[in-house]
Amino acid sequence: MNEKIKVKVHNLIKTFGDNQVLKGINLEVHDNEVVVVIGPSGSGKSTFLRNLNRLEAPTSGSIVIDDMDIADPKANINKIRENIGMVFQHFNLFSNLSVSENIMLAPVELKKASKEKAAAQAKKLLAQVGLESKYNATVQSLSGGQQQRVAIARALAMNPDVMLFDEPTSALDPEMVGDVLAVMKQLAKQGMTMIVVTHEMGFAKEVADRVVFVEDGNIQEQGTPDEIFNHPKDPRLQSFLDKVLNV
Amino acid sequence: MKRHFIRIISGLAALFALLVTLGLGAAPAKAEATYQIATDSTFPPFEFANNKNKYVGIDIDLMHAIAKDQGFKVNMKPTSFNSAVQSVQSGQSDGVIAGMSITKEREATFDFSKPYFMSGVVMAAKPNGKITKLSQLRGKRVAVKTGTSGAQYAQSIHKKYGFRIVTFDESNDMYQDVLTGNSAACFEDSPVMKYAVRQGTKLKIYTKPTLNGPYGFGVKKGHNKKLLRMFNNGLADLKANGEYARITRRYLGAKGSSDTTSDRTFMGLIKQNKGALISGFKQTVWLTVVAIFFATLFGVIVGLLGVVPNKFFNGLSTTLIYIFRGLPLLVLALFIYTGIPSLTGQKIPAFIAGIITLMFNEGAYIAAFVKGGINAVDDGQMEAARSLGLPFGKAMRRVILPQGIRIMIPSFINQFIITLKDTSILSIIGIIELTQTGKIIIARNLEGFKVWTIVAIIYLIVITLLTWLSNWVQRRVRL
Repeated sequence: MNEKIKVKVHNLIKTFGDNQVLKGINLEVHDNEVVVVIGPSGSGKSTFLRNLNRLEAPTSGSIVIDDMDIADPKANINKIRENIGMVFQHFNLFSNLSVSENIMLAPVELKKASKEKAAAQAKKLLAQVGLESKYNATVQSLSGGQQQRVAIARALAMNPDVMLFDEPTSALDPEMVGDVLAVMKQLAKQGMTMIVVTHEMGFAKEVADRVVFVEDGNIQEQGTPDEIFNHPKDPRLQSFLDKVLNV
Repeated sequence: MKRHFIRIISGLAALFALLVTLGLGAAPAKAEATYQIATDSTFPPFEFANNKNKYVGIDIDLMHAIAKDQGFKVNMKPTSFNSAVQSVQSGQSDGVIAGMSITKEREATFDFSKPYFMSGVVMAAKPNGKITKLSQLRGKRVAVKTGTSGAQYAQSIHKKYGFRIVTFDESNDMYQDVLTGNSAACFEDSPVMKYAVRQGTKLKIYTKPTLNGPYGFGVKKGHNKKLLRMFNNGLADLKANGEYARITRRYLGAKGSSDTTSDRTFMGLIKQNKGALISGFKQTVWLTVVAIFFATLFGVIVGLLGVVPNKFFNGLSTTLIYIFRGLPLLVLALFIYTGIPSLTGQKIPAFIAGIITLMFNEGAYIAAFVKGGINAVDDGQMEAARSLGLPFGKAMRRVILPQGIRIMIPSFINQFIITLKDTSILSIIGIIELTQTGKIIIARNLEGFKVWTIVAIIYLIVITLLTWLSNWVQRRVRL
């Protein structure tokens, strides 16, 4: 991790109708940092993440990634999104395309790569996630864990600066979780800037540079895994940890 | 995104421009030298298609003879009686000659020639002798044909004799209603009834013709004065030189031009009417193909307008679907063919009117399932595509549409089959497709049951073939 600030969120507010889901979030993420966001269901974690690449448009506040304000409606959002990879809870692989086509679609369509270059890159990425044999497979033939690893490869194909993970293992059978987490750990080790919303406390302890606890639309506490898991101060964090760790 | 919309809009505009040019281009070109004369297609012996599928009859022959005598050209347009009358009122045709009685009511909107034929209404009933007088009709049903002087006559006396009136569009349907016993009797112009009886209709004429039946050639009130004058002059010439008598004798004489002697078996009917059936069938297929093309174009555009992230276009799409899916096809066809031209004064050929009708109606259904098919694709697919930086249009084209189309294919094929069947409704505006061909053949030979059976089987064969094709396509797509 270095000192350069990669993502700077200032006073981010998001409302749906009368319901204020995000109530003024401030967060800075440094280059190469891995930030894990934890918190109870409905606290606003996923909404927060979806604001970061404007799948949801912020109601107010600013989100600056690499000096570009995503919250500004005039920003060229497609250009910005090319540099922000996202991995979804339900994988969302394109079911009309094969595994390799899923990975090659964006690089080819957005003219970042020729077909040949994109194909070579797809092979390399599949090898990285341990699925080189699935190059021509259909999406439907893959298990959930395999689909999620392909989804990670797909996001990496655009060479993003930041990766967002929205509960990437929540929809997986337990025996699949390990493979996906292993890919994510490896990615963290390579220095990828990552913001991960997850319920995998083990992953947070082991991989996170910083853990952020979100509750009631705001960041209630943040710190190193040691600070958060071994010395929690906020009573809501204490009660949350009690529930998730003592099962 | 903006450019995307502009492309859609300019696409729509181009489509309409094309239709309008097709529609307008055909009409005014000939208007100078040739008069468009509307006539009924099923009113023997005044107008009917003979077994060579050529229109003949007293009106047709008279009109051609007068045109020749007076040195002008005519283009006879056989359609249904109602639509013939309306096409003159809307300016689609210059005049109408369709065994049309001169009445006070019609003189309010038509200028008539001198009477060219004295007809009169007769009552016909089953020959069992149960109904022989008007006074026996009390409490019974009486069949008439829409817009005819028989219908008017029935209207004028139904209170006095206490009967109920049922109306039909085709003479044959009216006769059938009497033959099956649903109606006790029918009122029909006497030459028409005589012709039908001679063709083998098992009805008997019981009353003398009423004296209120002068037939006239009509033009829109205050228009086409020259044409009307030429008609009157020509008629006088024909009466003087004996041509008029020759024409009427041709159809009403003892040895009239009927085909009672011909083979009335299924095979016989098919053989005699092969030409007419094939050309009607071709017209049906052509209508279907062209209509499907434009309806798909219209439907896909309107359906896509329903899913783009823009409230105005979404509303436009919903409204278009609501209007054109809500309107009965028949009403839409009549509105476009006769309604719009009477407002704008611009003629629309029946074929173009038919295509526009089907484009809007079938297109609205297509739009609805295009929208539904796209909405049925999981939202996550669009989000994943957008999160990679793909613009809306590219995400739509590469990810959403390929999945949506797979969902839509059964609906598309279903709609194509419905379109094929719906072309039959266009017979109302006089397009001689398969159904109208059936009506025309029946008008001549009055073999309703057999001819409709033949027509129904032709439709079924085509639809079966289409269904097979659709199953094959669906199997291919599943792979």
